[in-house]
Amino acid sequence: MSHPAIAVENLVKVFGGRFRARPGVRAVDDLSFSVARGSIFGLLGPNGAGKTTTLRILTTLVKPTSGRASVLGYDVASHPSDVRKNIVVVIQEHAAELLLSVRDNLLTFARFHGLRGADIRRRADRIIDDFGLASETARKVQDLSGGTRRRVQVAKAFMVDTPVVFLDEFSTGMDPILKRSVMELLRREAARGRTIVLTTQILSEAEELCDDILIIDKGRQVARGDLNALKLLTERLYEVSVTFDRVPADAEAIVSAYQPLRVRVNHSSVHVALKDEESRVLQLVTSLASRGHVLRIEINGASLEDIFIELTKKGASA
Amino acid sequence: MTALTAIMTREAKIRATNLLFIFWDLLYPLGYLLVFSVGVNASLAFTTGGTAVSYNAFFLAGVLSMASFGIAANTSWSFFLDRDNGIFYEMLTYPMSRSQYLLGKVLFNVLIGVLQTAITVLLAAAILGVPLRVAGWPLLGAAMIVGTAGWFFFYAVFALRIRRNDAFNTVTSIFYFVFLFASSMFYPLDPLPAAFRAIASANPVTWQVDVLRYATIGLGDPSRLALEAAAFLAFTLASFGAAVLALRQQE
Repeated sequence: MSHPAIAVENLVKVFGGRFRARPGVRAVDDLSFSVARGSIFGLLGPNGAGKTTTLRILTTLVKPTSGRASVLGYDVASHPSDVRKNIVVVIQEHAAELLLSVRDNLLTFARFHGLRGADIRRRADRIIDDFGLASETARKVQDLSGGTRRRVQVAKAFMVDTPVVFLDEFSTGMDPILKRSVMELLRREAARGRTIVLTTQILSEAEELCDDILIIDKGRQVARGDLNALKLLTERLYEVSVTFDRVPADAEAIVSAYQPLRVRVNHSSVHVALKDEESRVLQLVTSLASRGHVLRIEINGASLEDIFIELTKKGASA
Repeated sequence: MTALTAIMTREAKIRATNLLFIFWDLLYPLGYLLVFSVGVNASLAFTTGGTAVSYNAFFLAGVLSMASFGIAANTSWSFFLDRDNGIFYEMLTYPMSRSQYLLGKVLFNVLIGVLQTAITVLLAAAILGVPLRVAGWPLLGAAMIVGTAGWFFFYAVFALRIRRNDAFNTVTSIFYFVFLFASSMFYPLDPLPAAFRAIASANPVTWQVDVLRYATIGLGDPSRLALEAAAFLAFTLASFGAAVLALRQQE
C-alpha cells in the first residue's frame, strides 16, 4: 500500500507545564490530517496558531507530546533518520552558513544529503542562475543582505530531490519577481511528483499555489479543503471594488451602513469586503454608483483572506 | 560515513577561510610559546621537583593543553553561532543523527588539535631547542586527542544550554581564566599554597597538562599520571554524555 506523503493523527504538542504550577501551552491540539503525494499543501493560520510547531514535529525537530505523525510512512518520533532522508526543510529563521560563500552553501547542503561530484556543481550553477545569485557566488553569506540570505536558504531546497519539501514562510524577504519565479519552481517540482508543504500568512501565496489548504488556529483545525471547498464554508462573503474618476465624499458613510468586514478607500476607488445577501450587495453598489462617475465595478466571491479572517474570527469567539 | 565527511568538510571550509579562526586555533597558543615562554625562560631561573628544566621545555605541555582547550572553545562557539544563525536547527533536519553531528564536530576538532600539536612540537624543537622525545609521541597523541575531545564535549554542553551570546562569552572567559591559571599549566604546583594545590589537583587541565608534560619531557610520577589520565578519561566520557543529552533536548 502506498502511504500518503504525510499522515497526522491526533497530534498534540504541549510546551512546558511539566514541573510548574502553570499548565503547559498546547501549541498543537489534537490535529489530524493527511497530505497526498505530489500535492502542494498549505498550512495556514494566524501568528501562534501552531503552524511552525506542526512543521517542526513533521521535520523531526520537536517530539510530539502525543498522537502520531508520519512522513512517507515513517513515524517522525520512532524513525527520525528515515524521515530526514526523505525531506528538505526551509525553516522560518534565516538559516544559512554565514561563514561560507553562496556556492559553498549550496554544495555543503548537497554533501549533507549524500551528493557528490561534478553533477552537484553543475546543479549549483543552474540554481545560482535561477535564483539570481550569479553576481554573489563567491561572497560569504554574512556579507549579503537579509533578502539575499533568504534566497540562498530557499535555493538550497532545490539542490536535492527528496520527495517531500517543507517551507516555513518561504517568501519572507523576497522581492515579488523572485517570489513569483520561486512559486513557479515549486509548481514544477510538484508536477515532478514532489510533495510541497508550506506554511504562510500571505494568503494570496497560498491561494495561488496550494492544491489543498488546512487552516488552523490555537493548534486546532479550523477548516480544510481546496480553495473552492473553503469558499463554500463562507457563503455570502463578497469583495466589492468600485472605481470612480473621483471618490464621492460620503462613500465611507454609505459603506459603513452595510457593516463591512473591511473597507479601503483611496483617491479613486472604494474596496469593501462584506458578508450579506446578494441583493444588499447590489444595493450598496447602486448607492455608491449614484454618487459619482463610475469607471469600473467588480464584485467577487470570498478570497482566501476573507475566508481566513472569517474562520479564525469564529474560532476566537467560540 | 557520508554525514561525518560532510560535517568535517563543512568545518574545514569554515575554519580554513576565516582568519579569526586560524588566529585563535593555530597562532594564539604559538604566541604564548614563542613570546611568553621565551620571556620567562630568559628572565627566571627555573627548577621543578628539584630538576633543572628550561621553562620552554616545561611550558610546552602547557601550550599544547592551552591549544586543545582553545580549539574546543572555538568549536563550541561555532556551535553557538550555528544556533544563533538558525543553521543549527536546519542541520538537525539533515539525514544524520544528532550523535553523528556531535561526532563530526569532535573529529574535526581532534584533527585541528593533532595539527596544532605537530606544529607546536616542531617549532619548540627548531626554535627553542626543546628536545624531541619520540618515545612519548604515542602518549602525546592520545593525550591531545582525548583532551581536545573532552574539552569540546565539556564546552558543547554550555554552548547548547546557554541561549544568550553575552552569557556564553562570559562563561567561556571565566572558564579560560579559572581552568588555565588554577592548574599546572604555567607553573609547577609544589611551591604553591596548599589550598591552591588542592584546587589545581581537582582541575582537569592539570590532569591533561601533567600527562602531556610526561609525554613531552618525561617529567612526572607515572603512578600519579595514570590516575590523572583515568580521571581525564572519565571527565571526557561524562562530558560526552552531558553533551549528547543537551543535544537531544534541543527543540
